[in-house]
Amino acid sequence: MASSILRTEKLCKSFSNMGTQQHVIKNLDLDILEGDFTVIMGSSGSGKSTLLYALSGMDKPTMGKVFFADTGIQDYSNDELAVFRRGNCGFVFQSVYLLDNQTVLDNVLTGALIVQKNSTELVNKAKDLLKKTGLNDEDLNKYPNQLSGGEAQRVGIVRALINDPKILFADEPTGQLNSSAGKDVLDIFTQVHKNGQSIVMVTHDLKTALRGTRVLYLRDGGIVGDYRMPPYGEDDLKERRNKLTAFLEEMGW
Amino acid sequence: MNILRLSLFNLKKNKREAAAISFLTMVTVLMMAIFVANYSKLNKAFDESFKASGSVNSIVLFKTDTYHSEFKSILTDNYHTDRLSINDYIFSGATDVRADSGDLVSYNFLFVTEKTERRLENFIKVDAMTDDEVRALSHPLWLPVNFKLSKGLKTGDTMTIVKAGKDYPFTIAGFYETGLESSDGFGFKLILSDEDYDLFSMIFSSGSLMSYNCIGLSFDSDDFDFDEYIRKCEESSSYNLMNYGVFLSYEYEKANETMFSSMFLMLVAFLSAITMISALFMITHKVSNDIEDQMQQIGVLEALGYKAREISLAYLYEYVISGGLGCLLGIIVTFLITPFMDSFNEAMLGRVVHGNTEVPGIIAVALSIFVIVILFALLKTRTVKKYPPVTALRRGIGTHNFKRNVLPLEGTKGNINLRLAMKSLLSDLKSCIGVTVCIVTAGLTILFSMVSFDFFKDGTKGLESMMGIDTEVVMVNVMTGADPEAIRDRILEMPEVRKAFVSYTLNSVSIKGSDLSATTQAYYDYNETENIFPTSGRFPEHDNEVMISFRRSQLEHLNLGDNIVLEDGGLEKSYVITGITSSMLNSGSSVYFTSDGYRRIKLNARPDTVHVYLNDGVSDEEFEERIAEVFGVSAKEAEGDSSSEGSLEDKIRAAADEKIAVMLSQYGVTSVDYAVMIGDKLITGNSRPYVIKEVSSWRGIIKSQMGPVSQTFKTFTLLSALLIGFIVAVILSIIAASAVRRQRMSLGIMKGLGYSSKDLMKQMALRMMPVIIISLVIASVATVFFNRFFWFAIVGLLPKTNITVIILTDIVLVLFCYFVTYLGAGKIRKISVTELMTE
Repeated sequence: MASSILRTEKLCKSFSNMGTQQHVIKNLDLDILEGDFTVIMGSSGSGKSTLLYALSGMDKPTMGKVFFADTGIQDYSNDELAVFRRGNCGFVFQSVYLLDNQTVLDNVLTGALIVQKNSTELVNKAKDLLKKTGLNDEDLNKYPNQLSGGEAQRVGIVRALINDPKILFADEPTGQLNSSAGKDVLDIFTQVHKNGQSIVMVTHDLKTALRGTRVLYLRDGGIVGDYRMPPYGEDDLKERRNKLTAFLEEMGW
Repeated sequence: MNILRLSLFNLKKNKREAAAISFLTMVTVLMMAIFVANYSKLNKAFDESFKASGSVNSIVLFKTDTYHSEFKSILTDNYHTDRLSINDYIFSGATDVRADSGDLVSYNFLFVTEKTERRLENFIKVDAMTDDEVRALSHPLWLPVNFKLSKGLKTGDTMTIVKAGKDYPFTIAGFYETGLESSDGFGFKLILSDEDYDLFSMIFSSGSLMSYNCIGLSFDSDDFDFDEYIRKCEESSSYNLMNYGVFLSYEYEKANETMFSSMFLMLVAFLSAITMISALFMITHKVSNDIEDQMQQIGVLEALGYKAREISLAYLYEYVISGGLGCLLGIIVTFLITPFMDSFNEAMLGRVVHGNTEVPGIIAVALSIFVIVILFALLKTRTVKKYPPVTALRRGIGTHNFKRNVLPLEGTKGNINLRLAMKSLLSDLKSCIGVTVCIVTAGLTILFSMVSFDFFKDGTKGLESMMGIDTEVVMVNVMTGADPEAIRDRILEMPEVRKAFVSYTLNSVSIKGSDLSATTQAYYDYNETENIFPTSGRFPEHDNEVMISFRRSQLEHLNLGDNIVLEDGGLEKSYVITGITSSMLNSGSSVYFTSDGYRRIKLNARPDTVHVYLNDGVSDEEFEERIAEVFGVSAKEAEGDSSSEGSLEDKIRAAADEKIAVMLSQYGVTSVDYAVMIGDKLITGNSRPYVIKEVSSWRGIIKSQMGPVSQTFKTFTLLSALLIGFIVAVILSIIAASAVRRQRMSLGIMKGLGYSSKDLMKQMALRMMPVIIISLVIASVATVFFNRFFWFAIVGLLPKTNITVIILTDIVLVLFCYFVTYLGAGKIRKISVTELMTE
């Protein structure tokens, strides 16, 4: 039995809009296990991204607790959360969010050098990871506007992985990619997971969800479904798809 | 309407920037309006006051023993004059006046009677006692209104003139408007009762005062050339008048009285220009940021059919509103502080300044600045044209980077925050030009203010350091025939004395081809002096060498190695210039000789003065008492000291001694013997007991003349530094805040990557540092040159710029700018990563 890496207790997140409180996450208890590829699904506005950001320390919960390896992070200041994130988390965003004025290699190193000292090993590691994701040497000195969406997202993934995060968060990483580029990106996620990386990913795409080992379904700020699957590639894909579809349909997807 | 709404939206969204532009515009208008309104008011006030006094426009002063009745006809025969009158006067240089605190302050005084005053001008009284009250006073005194306005004296106050240790208390009967002799520089004309005038004529030097209106005379006019007139007088009388004739005119008086006020107003105008540059920089910076920030909005508006010109107007309206508000506030504040400025002008000028506010001038200034602001904004807002809808919707090409990768992170060795800050800076050097201009100008002002503040912080010490005389020295002028070296030796034995050496009294010679005659200073060994330093070259060492003032070297284009020919009594001698020094004495006319060199041109000169340096804490008065103890009373002190007590013989001896003192101190008499037969008794005496002619020092007069000016400038320079520092703080915090707004996305991403707000604020502050440091280095160098230029332009001095003050101010400014930018970037804390991600 894998140990818990991330746990919440009575997690609540509300937003105030024109004096009206909107409760997006309500008293949510959740346990994310180490080594899992957890996929969070739900209809639009169900609180998927809000949950992801609350779990990852990107945002503070309104109430409740978030434990990362038994350490409560809910009371951390913004700067303490930044330090927490840099040491433990990697992020892959739907819009990639590469820094426009930095080259591919510098984008990766910007994430790395805040945690690690500069060294030949670090630079080689960044180059190696970029190569593994399909980028060649010429791409290293390109600026984001010179990359395709898929290439940019691969850089985003490498930037997220460069610090060997304990957990990798991804918010609809293929949302803006065509199917071919999306598949390449998902293959990378699958490969990374096989290497033991814990991943929490938000998606509303079935193909993406199939890559996970656990699917949580969110509705009205609470988890209403929790479905487990074997690692991707270890079972029949068609059967895997059917079972997941059935689960999702049961959830009202 | 929609366009105006966009303007209002921008104003509301960027309240701080709009407020900053309003503030900078207000300060610019305020200071420029102060300059314009008060510069003309100051000149007008002098003219009105002069006119109201009914004063003649020129006077020439001669000492009694150097005046000849023919001088009058030389004037009338050669120049167009009217209202010519010849009067008596009493002159007393560096006369001590006892203040309420007991301290002695020195002034140059010209004493006249009411009768003489009425010949010179209309004797218009201000705050005067009634005639009955005046008649009841034992010693009434009328003072120029300057004493009321700038020195805080009131009618009925007691003013005590101290001479030779004796107090002469007067009651101020009132003040009067005067044309000439109303300034610290040329001295003050005081009106005494006839009895007091007679008393003072026994104590002080008297002379003839030739007053007249010289028709068509102006400062640069050839109509009256004083030196030429004096030469004609010398030719007709065979007197040496170069040292004993003084010329005062309307132009001299005006230039002298308005000099420091004008200097102050020039500095205010300079500050206004600096603020203006800052405001214009802020505007260009803000317009660029706004356009970049709202690029997509511009694209949408263009797509909807708005013309680029119409969209430009949306941005322009902002500056019409914020700039207009600033100008309006500037006008209001200018009017509000007018009474204060009038009081300040009165104190500086020493004349009544009438309260007519220069409304057209102030409005014209405000309108001009408003137009400049709008023109500048208009030029910048026209850049909207560069973005057609498609380009604008794609946010221009701001996100498209094809530049060389400067400072790749691969080579990072130290702190990543520093590396990222430098990388960001080098990637966008163009944006630094405005900041550089702004910091250079503001830095120059702050550094110059701090250098000036340091210069004035010890009162008059800074000015003294540039005067080219030993201001701390007490000069003991010995009687002709007395042995100055023997006197020096006895003075050196006094416990009050630190150092003493023999020298010469100041004198005057002509310089061939120069309008500025030479005030001579001669020393045996310049290394013994403590306040005379060559700023270039060296002290004279041989009898054919001289050192001249920086002012003379600049005005007459004289350099080291050049020759000058000095003339005196028909004698001409050539000297080589070996040194140049800063010298303020007599408009920088000093020429410094060796002892032998001085005697080449002044053949009969003998050392006649002992320069004495007192130990710390010993006052001039204490030393004078000590001198009297050791050498007996000086001839100057003995003047007017006839005692009326004792036997007839005592009375006769006292009267005779007093007369001898006057002859010795005033008329150049070197030795007197007398014998008086009273009945069968012969009373004899001589001048041999007198050894000391006079004891004097520069300290009192420097304190009274320069003290208030030093205090004013000290305060002003400190306030200037604080004001500009505040403006720098506003600008940097606004730059930081707008950079945060512009880079919101990048900063959010960085936060997502684990950079804390502090890291990012640090990056923002570090990014500015190279620009600030380079700007301050430029400003520091500029300050050294500007400081020299300023002091030379104003008083012809060459100041020593305190480099330590510049370095310390630079360090403080760098730290100040770092923290201001750091705090200004505080909005980074408010950037929510999640909001950014979910946009």
